[in-house]
Amino acid sequence: MNRNKRSHLLQQYLYVGPTALFFLCMVLVPFFLGIYYSFTSWNGISSHVGWNGIQNYVHIFTRDYSFLNAFWFTAKFTVVALILTNLLGFALAYILTRRLFARNTLRAVFFIPHVIGGLLLGFIWQFIFVQGFSSIGELTGWSFFTLPWLGTGTTAFWAIVIVFVWQNAGYLMVIYISAINNVPSSLIEAAKVDGAGRSQLLRKVIVPLIMPAVTVCLFLTISWSFKLFDLNLSLTEGGPFKSTQTVSLNIYEEAFTISRFGLGSAKAMIFFIIVAIISLLQVRATKKKEVEM
Amino acid sequence: MNRWKRALLVLLPLLIVVAGGCSQSSGTAGVVTVDVFQFKAEISQQLDELKAEFEREHPNIRLNIQTVGGGSDYGASLKAKFSSGDQPDLFTLGGDHERDMWLEYLEDLSDQPWVADVKEVALDQMTVDGKLYGMPMNLEGYGFIYNKDLFEQAGITEEPQTLSELREACEKLQAAGITPFANGYQAWFVLGNHFANVAFAQQPDPEQFIAELTEGTAAFMGNEIFQQWIDLLDLTLEYGNPNPLSMDYSSQVSTFATGQAAMMQQGNWTQVQIDGINPELNLGILPMPIHDSDTNRGMIYAGVPGNWVVNKNSKVKEEAKTFLNWMVTSEMGKRYITSEFKFIPALDSIEGTEDDLGQLGVEVLKYADAGKTLSWNWTRLPNGMPQEMYSSIQGYIGGSLTREEMLEQFQRNWDNLSFQ
Repeated sequence: MNRNKRSHLLQQYLYVGPTALFFLCMVLVPFFLGIYYSFTSWNGISSHVGWNGIQNYVHIFTRDYSFLNAFWFTAKFTVVALILTNLLGFALAYILTRRLFARNTLRAVFFIPHVIGGLLLGFIWQFIFVQGFSSIGELTGWSFFTLPWLGTGTTAFWAIVIVFVWQNAGYLMVIYISAINNVPSSLIEAAKVDGAGRSQLLRKVIVPLIMPAVTVCLFLTISWSFKLFDLNLSLTEGGPFKSTQTVSLNIYEEAFTISRFGLGSAKAMIFFIIVAIISLLQVRATKKKEVEM
Repeated sequence: MNRWKRALLVLLPLLIVVAGGCSQSSGTAGVVTVDVFQFKAEISQQLDELKAEFEREHPNIRLNIQTVGGGSDYGASLKAKFSSGDQPDLFTLGGDHERDMWLEYLEDLSDQPWVADVKEVALDQMTVDGKLYGMPMNLEGYGFIYNKDLFEQAGITEEPQTLSELREACEKLQAAGITPFANGYQAWFVLGNHFANVAFAQQPDPEQFIAELTEGTAAFMGNEIFQQWIDLLDLTLEYGNPNPLSMDYSSQVSTFATGQAAMMQQGNWTQVQIDGINPELNLGILPMPIHDSDTNRGMIYAGVPGNWVVNKNSKVKEEAKTFLNWMVTSEMGKRYITSEFKFIPALDSIEGTEDDLGQLGVEVLKYADAGKTLSWNWTRLPNGMPQEMYSSIQGYIGGSLTREEMLEQFQRNWDNLSFQ
């Protein structure tokens, strides 16, 4: 091997090596350990790990209705959050790509919630829902503000949706803005010359051309809302009556509070497979809609 | 090769950091450090003072105390410590279930000099096959705490001991314009741990009943004691404050302490808060009866909230044992337990006076010494069960579940959670 080639190889190791090593340590090894533990009755403490076969999986599908409840809740949440976040994100982007007073400031303002961590947001909004809303309600008498927001299952569901949409719409807005700005102005002018109105322009020109951004945004919101954990933990902790427990929180409690680490791992595996399938289906479906220029 | 060098320059500091993290800091020769990890946040300051006293008398031993408060946080941190290899030498654990989960790490303490003094009620939760694996930190007890002055005002001369007597007392109180109960049913442990425990503790053999529930030979539905237990729940609701589900722990205590209610289901740990609001109250603890018969008459519910345990694999376990022994045998240690920690001692060799423990502490001690206590069982239930029972009982109180549906939910959750 000549010297040049060897140095090239060394460079490859040097650049890819550390990342590969960390990926191996932080992702691959825990993943395969997780698969192993999902077939055991390990409690997270003992040095003895008992083999359980597929009993954990059987248990989840036959007796553990708390997981099914959490799953149903997460699925409902994902659908609602997906639609609302994308609609709001796109609407903000559409408005903020026009010539508008204080356009850049507004963009920053809408983006900021995404920068604050979900845990902190949850605590802040808990205060708003419990104290802030009820004070406003007392002052104005509007029934919207006097609802027991975190006290019943239905309102707590919408409370999480509101905070999630508020947190993430700004991020999607940024993606949509760059996509809308990339639509060639020649195409838009041509459409205008052909007599297209504002709504036709939006539906027939802009939306088809920003489909790649839609793919990305849908993918992001699906994975964010499916894996929702921090907001759920700090805002409702799954309550009231476990009615707002997401799958992630359910898995966490199973493994670390109830100390059934094996069962928790099994749930995490099922969850992984389902999220992977849904994400793949979604990416494939929206890819088809993308148009080449 | 220039790039290679530059990359090395970047990587080298990283390697040094990693290598530095691996090396162990070693102490001064002859002095050993005992790592202590404990969950009683309320005593952490006093424990630090006690540590200074101990280190003065034992110059060769240093204590490194870490406190993490709150039930589940502590458990998760302890697990994290063990899995990261940073095992504490001396730590605290709940009895029964937690004892079994950690058993392989626990040092057998049966040969320690203080073992003979441990009160009967505190032994069982830390014993396996006749061996004692932990030193109970203290005793706590709960029942219906009552305001003696309000009872007198309503003309109640004798402490109610049965369900019917309790109902009569409530009626007298109500006739005198006094709310009988302050029900803090928003607090999960008030319902899920303490109230739910009544139904288990009243079983003829709670431990066996729990085992049978797991085996499937016993059931919640059709169990007479659970029906009687719901009678007691109904009684507290009938004679309690409106909106019990939105009254949390602190408002329950303050409602009671300000004299707006005559009774509350709570334990001796509320003494400090009550004293903060009204130190002049005359307090007593009533039993929580679920029927009128003579079985389990006049009992309150007492147990051990936490135990000191020694890590079997520790290199300094003898020093850890020295500290435990010193804490319960030296005058200094005993004084700290009662007058600084405000603990009801779990050992007969330590005396508690009313000045130290408060009226409620003395009351619990009186019941315990007379053998008038029933056990704490939530540490024996499957993990997560108290929280599930809390949800179901709330559903019943809120009216969305019937008696039978509540018991069915108990059963379903038990079947799920008892699977290992």
